[in-house]
Formats: sequence, C-alpha cells, structure tokens
Amino acid sequence: MSETTIIWKKCKKCGKLQHPDHLRCIQCKNTTFNIVKSSGDCKLLTYTILTAPPSEYRDKKSYAIGVVEYSNGLKAMGQITTSENLKIGMKLSPGFKKLTDNLDGQKIFGLIFKPI
Amino acid sequence: MNKVAIIGVGHTKFGKLEDKNLLDLLCDASLQAIENSNTNDKDFDAVYVSCMLAETLNHMTAIASAVVDRIGLIPAAADHVKNGPASGGSAIKNAFYSIASGACDMVLVVGAEKMTHITTPGLITSAVATLTHHNAERIHGVSLPSLAGMLTRTYMEKYNVPKEWITSIAVKNHKNGMNNPYAHFQKEITLEKALNSPIIADPLRLYDICPISDGGAAMVLCSAEVAKEFCDTPVLITGVGQATDTHIVYEREDLTVLKALQICSKQAYNMAKKTPEDIDVCEAHDAFTILEAIQSEDLGFFKKGEGAKAAYEGLTEIGGVIPINPSGGLKARGHPLGATGVAQVIELFWQLRNEAGKRQVQNAQTGITCNFGGFGNNIVSILVERK
Repeated sequence: MSETTIIWKKCKKCGKLQHPDHLRCIQCKNTTFNIVKSSGDCKLLTYTILTAPPSEYRDKKSYAIGVVEYSNGLKAMGQITTSENLKIGMKLSPGFKKLTDNLDGQKIFGLIFKPI
Repeated sequence: MNKVAIIGVGHTKFGKLEDKNLLDLLCDASLQAIENSNTNDKDFDAVYVSCMLAETLNHMTAIASAVVDRIGLIPAAADHVKNGPASGGSAIKNAFYSIASGACDMVLVVGAEKMTHITTPGLITSAVATLTHHNAERIHGVSLPSLAGMLTRTYMEKYNVPKEWITSIAVKNHKNGMNNPYAHFQKEITLEKALNSPIIADPLRLYDICPISDGGAAMVLCSAEVAKEFCDTPVLITGVGQATDTHIVYEREDLTVLKALQICSKQAYNMAKKTPEDIDVCEAHDAFTILEAIQSEDLGFFKKGEGAKAAYEGLTEIGGVIPINPSGGLKARGHPLGATGVAQVIELFWQLRNEAGKRQVQNAQTGITCNFGGFGNNIVSILVERK
C-alpha cells in the first residue's frame, strides 16, 4: 500500500497554511499558493468516540474520530482504527480507504488513522 | 437609523407535539404574536420565516409564502431565512435592518422546526451534520455532538477543567426549565445522574446534549415610533451582530475560542453602546454544555478557561452575577432549530418586562443572546433593552 499523503497549500503572499478547499487565501485573499505535503507519523490533537452515528454510518455501533497535526503544521480529521487507549499527543499513521456507503449507495472514501 | 421595538411575542409549547405539523407551528406562533401585539387588523410589510430543515425533514419548500397565505398577510414580502441553528437570529437581524432602514414599518418574524416525527436512526444527526465541511469533516462520519465531544476534551485538557464543572450547566438549565411552561423538559436532574448518563460522543454524555424538539416562536417588530400606538412597554433591539469563522473547525488556531462570537457580540455591544458588565441576563446556545461555558467567555462575562468553573460556582444561576439561560436554554426548553434564535429573544422580552414568573431575573434591563450557526462558523448576537 502506498503511503497516504495529506495535501494543503501555503499562500504565496502571506504564508498562511490552509486546507486546499480555499480558492482565495483565508487570511489575505490572495489566489496563488504553493502545495505543501505531509505523510508518515502525525500527532493526535483531540478525539471523540461516537456512539450515535449519523445514518451514513448506520452499520457501525461506534467509532473514534480525531484531529491530527503534522510537524509542518498540516492538520487533518479522520476516523481512528480503534477506540481503545487513545490519548492526546499519541503518534498515529494515516491511511485512506472506503469508510462507508452513503444513503445514495455511493462509496465514501476518507482518512483513517492507526496508532503506532 | 430608526429605533426598533418588539411589541408582542408568540411561543408554542416545545417538545414532542404529535398533532402539529411544521406549518401549524409556524402559524400558531405567528397568530399568538399578532394577538399579543394588538396588530390583528394591521398590514405587515414583511415576514421572515426561519427554519433549518423544512426540505429535509418535512418535504416543504416555500414555507414563507405558505405562512402569509394561511394567516392572511398577503401581500407582505415573505422570505425563508436559513442559517442553520442560527436561522432565528438571522431572521431577527433581517427584520431589524428592514425597520431600522425605514424600508418597513411592521414586520413579523417566526421560526419553527418539526423534528420528532423522524424515526429513522441517525437521520436527524445526519441532516444536522450537513452543516459541517463536506470533504474535510462530514465524510468521516462526524456529527455535531462529535465536534462538541472533541471540543470538550480539548477544553478540559487545556484549562485543566473537570467534567462536572461543564455538566453542571445542564443541571442549572434543567432547574431553570422547571419554571418555564413552554419548556420541553420541566424536571430537575442531578449532577450525578447527568455524569452517568449514556455516552454519546465521549466525554459528552446524553445529558450534556439538547433534545430534538418540535416548536414555534414568533415576534412582531416595528419602529419605536410606530410601537407607541400598540404597546406601553416595548423592548428595544439596540444591538445586533453577526460574524463567521472557518467552516473547517480544525482550521481555527484555538478550538476553544469562538472568534465569530467575539466579533458579533462586540458589534452588538458597540451598536448599543454597552459592555458585558451592563448585561443583566443572557440567553446562550447550549446545544452542548461545553458551548455555554465557552460562550460565556467569548461574550465577555468570564476570562478564557473560566466559564465552566463560573457555572459550577453558581455565578450564572438566576440570582448570580450574570444569569444565563433562565429559560432553561436549549437543554431544557428544547431545540426546534429554526425556533431557537427567536425563542431566545422572546425569553429576554419577558425578562425585561418582568413577565418571567418564577424564573424572573430581578430588575433585568439589558440582555444579550448568542445564537450559534454551524459549529461556531456563523453566529448571531442580539442585544435588547427596556426603555
């Protein structure tokens, strides 16, 4: 399996690091960016264990979701492979896979992190 | 700008209302507000209808047109205002500016939501989760309670706050709701029971979370000049604010700071020439206990990290230094999404007119709301005064 890469962008004008969804810089409105990537280990910033999932995840009784941060400042949200022994600050490694089928039957792919 | 007055209100019972559909709730609340404001024979210039999930849960569009038709307000301009759970606040803000600008004389705001008929597991959780950022958050199965769970964990860790301080907010709000005849829940809960209720999004438990409710709330607004004809004791809206923050919650530098609330409450304070020290009563958006704690900080009542402690120590009870959610808040009054922002201002209307009965905050002259849209990414604050 190839390594999962998180891609963000960095504003060429003000240097603000941000999610690639923004068409203009969230800080200075500039429209030119450099691509910034991260892969490998990341750190768990916060997490929760959900026991009342939205209907897209109707087949699961519970799962953990967390926010991670890389040493270069990139952040990401994803599921976590386990709900056991989670701790803020612990090291995780990212994966990308099919998480569920949505209510229209489409395959939903997303990030899932595994404790190291 | 013209001064803007609230001259009458309407509020259905909140809860599981089996014999009422969405349009019934909107129209019941509207007619009560018209009756209460003595405007039965008046023409209205505009009607702002707030509802978050009419299309999804009730398969209805054009609800604003339906309301004016059903309650005899044709040809009033009618708009459906949508800003998630802050739709009510946004509707009031729109009404405020339409009157302040001089464009309208008489305006009705009504909000409602019909939710409890949905029985499919997770469907409401899913419908509400459409508020979140699709690619970054939602596809991973995030729900609003799970965002609040992560926020609770971060807040507890950052400020070294025990869970009971946060959950005490639910106990306080249930106590207040006891004396609100319109509340979804009119019963007290103990801290022990709340702390041991089922986990929903660890460390958030069932009693940290507002219920799913049906309900409607409405108010009649006009200029302070026109108000003299109808009402001796109007309540004036003297400050409004609205601001946004990043859609992706984790893009915020500090999860525990509600920047949009800091900005929009400052707009409201500045417009009214008031400060947090001038506020006698507050209606906050406690969809989750943690939100009331953090909102009480970003509204300027307490320092960062001290909101939950203040609640635990009783500072936000009725009779405390700054009573928050005397209505029972979203936790006890209930949270019919589109009605909530309107119900918050209605509670302040009653409090400022000394009409709140056993939950009355003594000598309340000035109040503020926080109506929370998305997960803190679109917030409205309304400041009201008795004049």
